[in-house]
Amino acid sequence: MTTALIGFAVLLALCFIGFRVGFATLIVGFVGFAMLRGFDASLAMVGQQVFHDSMNYNLSVIPLFILMGVFIVHARISQDLYDAAYAALGRFRGGLALATVLAAGGFSAVCGSTLATAATMAKVAMPPMRNYKYSDRLASGTIAAGGTLGIMIPPSVPLVIYGLIAEQDIGLLFIAGILPGLMLVILFLIAVGITVRRNPLAAPSAPPLEPARRKEAIRGTLPVLILFLVVLGGIYSGAFTATEAAGIGSFGAAVIAVMRGHLLTLGEWRDCLVDATTTTATIFIVLLGAIVFSQFINLSGMPYDLLDLVDEWELSPFQLVIFVCIIAILMGMVFEAIGILVLLVPVFLPALQINGIDMIWFGILVVLVSEIGLITPPIGMNVFVVKSVLPDVRLGAIFTGVLPYIFALVTGLILVLIIPQVATFLPGLMR
Amino acid sequence: MTSSFLTRIIQVLEVLSSIVLAAMMLLTFVDVIGRYLLGAPVFGASEMISTMLALVIFMGLGIANARDKHIVVELFDSRIRALAPGFYDVVVQGFSILSMCLIVYVLFEQAIETAHTGATTIVLEWPLAWITGTVAVLAALSVVSQILGLLTGANQPNKYHLEDV
Repeated sequence: MTTALIGFAVLLALCFIGFRVGFATLIVGFVGFAMLRGFDASLAMVGQQVFHDSMNYNLSVIPLFILMGVFIVHARISQDLYDAAYAALGRFRGGLALATVLAAGGFSAVCGSTLATAATMAKVAMPPMRNYKYSDRLASGTIAAGGTLGIMIPPSVPLVIYGLIAEQDIGLLFIAGILPGLMLVILFLIAVGITVRRNPLAAPSAPPLEPARRKEAIRGTLPVLILFLVVLGGIYSGAFTATEAAGIGSFGAAVIAVMRGHLLTLGEWRDCLVDATTTTATIFIVLLGAIVFSQFINLSGMPYDLLDLVDEWELSPFQLVIFVCIIAILMGMVFEAIGILVLLVPVFLPALQINGIDMIWFGILVVLVSEIGLITPPIGMNVFVVKSVLPDVRLGAIFTGVLPYIFALVTGLILVLIIPQVATFLPGLMR
Repeated sequence: MTSSFLTRIIQVLEVLSSIVLAAMMLLTFVDVIGRYLLGAPVFGASEMISTMLALVIFMGLGIANARDKHIVVELFDSRIRALAPGFYDVVVQGFSILSMCLIVYVLFEQAIETAHTGATTIVLEWPLAWITGTVAVLAALSVVSQILGLLTGANQPNKYHLEDV
């Protein structure tokens, strides 16, 4: 256990200094393994893992879903989604903020990237909220928080990575993310309602959408809805594997983009494909590093020492899950979703499995915790993204603006903790 | 000279990776459509897709390494870098280059080993040594682009990593 703890300390120090997370985990894992088993054994282990995992068919889901998200962003569909959401919710107080939440949820369902969702919604939703004198705090906070929905509502890359580390079915994880994702959308809508009720001046009323624009927006949104239903319906019915669904999804997203007058030149195609390729490469470096690091952690015996500790402290399975969630919340203040999954899950995996924890449920919990980390200081990535798109909004205003949504996320976390069926009901129907 | 060489490497990698990723998407799509509509899935599609995945990752690394598009914990890094930017960049990038060299070495070892054993993929019986060897060459190329990126300053810190998930 001491070797593993030293490994963690070195890794954290390297990450804080600014070494790239993927490379730092790879080298610490390699050196740690070499110290326990020898240099040659460590080289052989790294070789096996890099070779095996970079050719893992199940992981093809990552570039294909990233590509789907890139095509959807490129299709400029966000304005239609936003207007359609406003057509549905515009009559309520704070309608523009409510529409932002709903549109962010819809966009996430076909995009899969929290940061892309936050950046896109900042460009689409901020101008009308500014026009109608919404407070910067409410407007920017809603956009930053809305982006976090992307990691829970499938397709979600963090869920794929969790599935790989915890050896869980990726299709089941995606289906498990649907109800918690919808629940979070509802909780965010309630958070807007409460904020606006407490401070009506934060959201002056805005006129309804013109009927012609409403029809046009709804028509523009339909293909996205169909794509989402095909992708998840295919996985749910067992017609496609997750990888096949990703292939269908990315192809469908390209068709939608072409139908909307985009992706008509080779240059546009290349931009999208290169964007998806480089994102895939950066994710895989973290993933490969994580796998090597987890081999070192397993060899060190730390997961089994933790298991003994759990026995010694007489923690019930539920208390164990809460304990892990608290650690994940603390880690979320510094690391983004992939970092949390990579460092936390392998360490606690044996203890969680031996205590009979439903690992699909736990996956949803840990991803939900990562969502909180995306908007909490000191490193709330979504907050920084919104700040980069809206440089004139104070960082403090965005962090204050996300507070109601942090409460909503914590409420969601508590609900999934005490009612696991929110996450396990749909996968249960598939098993 | 160095800069134009790096630009050329990146251009080639961009074109090749775009072709492979587009082919991966089309193959997955055609395989599913073939299975359900024609009753004839593409023979060995999963092996082709697995191979394409490895190619996409290591071609993408060539581009990502040159531009240093890697995930960073942005808490103290800018303050530490401000103390001695040149030294900091060399140490941090040097570490990344060292890590990539490790990957290149183990991939070449794998390629040599699979060449000795004559291992092939199960369905298509493609020689694994060729696949691993190609991936190792791409990984080596990504190290070259990483070093050139450091020399030309193409890999300046990217504050907001929008490509992160």
